[in-house]
Amino acid sequence: MKKVSILGVLVVVSLFVASFAFADITVTNASGESITFTDEEIGTIVTSGEKPFEGVTVTVTVNEGGPKGGISGPLYEWRDTWEQLTGAKLNIVEIPYAEHYPKVMTDLYTGTGQFDAFMIGSDWMGELIAGEYIIPVDDYIKDPRFPKWDPDALPPSIRTLYTWGDKWYGVLNDCDGQVLYYRKDILNNPDYRVQFKEKHGYEYNIPPKTWDELYDISEFFNGWDWNDDGEADSGIVMHLKVGAQGMYHYVSLSAPFCILPGEKVDKYHNVYWFDPEDMTPLINDEGHIKALDFQLKLAKTGPDAQVAWSLGEAWDYFLRGKAIFCFSWGDLGSLAQDEARSKVKGKIGCSILPGCYEVYDRSQGQFVKFDDPVVWGNTTGGSWHGVISVLSKNPEATYHLLAFHATNKISLWNAQRGWTGVDPGVKFHFLPPYGTASLDDYVANGFHPEDAKEYLDAYYENFFATNIVPYLRIPGGNEYWVALDRHLSEAYTGALSAQEALDRVARDWEDITNRYGREEQLKVYQESIGYQPE
Amino acid sequence: MRKNRRAKYFFIFPAIIWVLAFTIFPLIYSLGLSFFRVRLGRPAQFVGLNNFARIFSDYKLGNSLRVTLLYVAITVSIQLILGILIALLFNQEIRGKNIFRALLILPIFCTPVAVGYLGLTIFYEEGGPINSILMSLFNLKIPWLSSRIWAWVAVFLLDIWQWTPFCFLVILAGLQSLPEEIYDAAYVDSSSEWEIFRKITFPMIQPVIMIVLLLRLIESFKIFDVVYSLTGGGPGTATEVYSLYTYRTGMKFFDLGYASALGYLLLAIVIVIINFLFRQIREVYE
Repeated sequence: MKKVSILGVLVVVSLFVASFAFADITVTNASGESITFTDEEIGTIVTSGEKPFEGVTVTVTVNEGGPKGGISGPLYEWRDTWEQLTGAKLNIVEIPYAEHYPKVMTDLYTGTGQFDAFMIGSDWMGELIAGEYIIPVDDYIKDPRFPKWDPDALPPSIRTLYTWGDKWYGVLNDCDGQVLYYRKDILNNPDYRVQFKEKHGYEYNIPPKTWDELYDISEFFNGWDWNDDGEADSGIVMHLKVGAQGMYHYVSLSAPFCILPGEKVDKYHNVYWFDPEDMTPLINDEGHIKALDFQLKLAKTGPDAQVAWSLGEAWDYFLRGKAIFCFSWGDLGSLAQDEARSKVKGKIGCSILPGCYEVYDRSQGQFVKFDDPVVWGNTTGGSWHGVISVLSKNPEATYHLLAFHATNKISLWNAQRGWTGVDPGVKFHFLPPYGTASLDDYVANGFHPEDAKEYLDAYYENFFATNIVPYLRIPGGNEYWVALDRHLSEAYTGALSAQEALDRVARDWEDITNRYGREEQLKVYQESIGYQPE
Repeated sequence: MRKNRRAKYFFIFPAIIWVLAFTIFPLIYSLGLSFFRVRLGRPAQFVGLNNFARIFSDYKLGNSLRVTLLYVAITVSIQLILGILIALLFNQEIRGKNIFRALLILPIFCTPVAVGYLGLTIFYEEGGPINSILMSLFNLKIPWLSSRIWAWVAVFLLDIWQWTPFCFLVILAGLQSLPEEIYDAAYVDSSSEWEIFRKITFPMIQPVIMIVLLLRLIESFKIFDVVYSLTGGGPGTATEVYSLYTYRTGMKFFDLGYASALGYLLLAIVIVIINFLFRQIREVYE
């Protein structure tokens, strides 16, 4: 009897201890929503309850946006929770977009070290790696002390942006790429389809397969009231203001005009920016000139004011139901679900950007024809994510913060809410059969079911496309982008022709390359695009 | 007496420190920088006069210089003319003059960056207040920020709105200091207001106008804030003024040697113009 009772006590005590040892941890964010983590997911630093980061302050820079702004918002949303779990303090330093890069680089160049981590745009990576300003996180990823996130969930296209060579430097956050948003309800209107066929002699595809087809549709719908709101509407809307990310439109659009697809990266295949043998800019070759001429023509089927519009104004125009097309980032798809500012919820379709039948082949010096449109997926944009400064005095606490945000559950929470600026791109953001997310969850967070399917499938198709536009990741990357931006803007405003504008870009790029050192730049460029000299 | 002499050094000491630390030192330091290729994070490299030579082959600089000179010429002229006209008006007996004067000088107290952002709202092309009024009255929509010329007009308007009151205020003070007796005598000989203005008022306030001109010229050459916040130098490079170009070169691309050379070029231009004006002022006084 005594043995039995001792055994019973032991069992009860064991169960009691085990219930604590393997208790799930539930955290609640600033919006009052809760997420429960298993021990494995949250890591032993939290489950031990020791709070080793007590008294540590982690300082992170991020684009200015406020507590409900893109990319900055999630840091505020989860700050209190993370501080309670770890004992550390989080200091969020918001910096306007245009000033963020110079501020960060000044901190690193001068060795000040006032920031532990930066939420960087991926185009900064070349400079950060070349100067050895950030640390790899591979060892931390394997370490069970930290929150667990899954690098294998990232598509190769996005993984490239977070890594350099075979090392991980970035911790999962945002996945940027531009897809085509279109008004499915209007394009499916049978009267409009008939009128279009009468005018152009063919029926359009929904979504359009090529840029030429998209132009025809955009031109057809431009300048008249197709949504019965009493005002003339537009075919397309773009954000083309100088200094406000307008050049990204050009890069996404121009890829199928000027990148010849091939099995590997060589002098003539899969390159966009520079000749990988000598760093000669390719930006003013025939393919690019044709692409910019096309974009200038396409811009005429949108509002004139878009030349001075940044993201917000262009998105707002589309959300107010004033344009058939907009090609932009994932933010637009989720913002379209917010009925307080969107009239297009449940009316949008999404797809990978259209392609071209003719692509410029530099080896032949002419355009070559393909049987099917050549389509390129893209990772255009910042894919804003955290990296750890080499000057950080608290790299472990800093990584813990970044990894906490990268856990599947928080990442999914962020991706399902438009205001966070965290756009979907990893497997667990997508719906079956591509991923593990649930349509019900998206719907519960305000998505229209059809919109959610379209949106997520388009992004899956984009990030997992066979061809992905190469990303510029070399020292001075920001300066190359700015040169492209300013001269494109000169073309958009009619001050220069496409040829003149791109010649100026090429000239500036040569200057920048020479200043940074051609040989050094070439080496980093080759590494960044995976070019193997023969 | 000796104590007084010591006291004056005591009072002048902070000013000397200030000038040495915040004017002379940066001036000399940036002169040194202009002879080097300086990229933060890498060793500086002596390049002699290369940065200055680069100025002559920099086509972007030509654009920003042109834009700045045009801006200075147009805004300062309009501000002066309007300033004189409004000052003449306020030099008369008007009911509620004090209230109007107080209202008129309010723009001076606004931060230029805030004025630029305010401009973004006012000149917003799709439904902004100005275009809404123009649309309802004349069915007219002006491309304030998307057209190269209208973007200029927007920048001009904001700057003129903000700095005309300064011209007006100083010139009004000049007008009010003119002796009444001269006018009493003048009205005996002529009843033409224009003639009295041309032959008496204008020559007498000319030194004040020259000082206002001088101050506005110096300030206008440094224009940055309004352009930065309103147009960002765009559309294209239509409003990329010299200071904005120098700022980008130095603080965005960290090309500090060349940015210093650019700074010295502006300094040289301003010194030449100011010297010319000083000569004119001296002649007026003499």
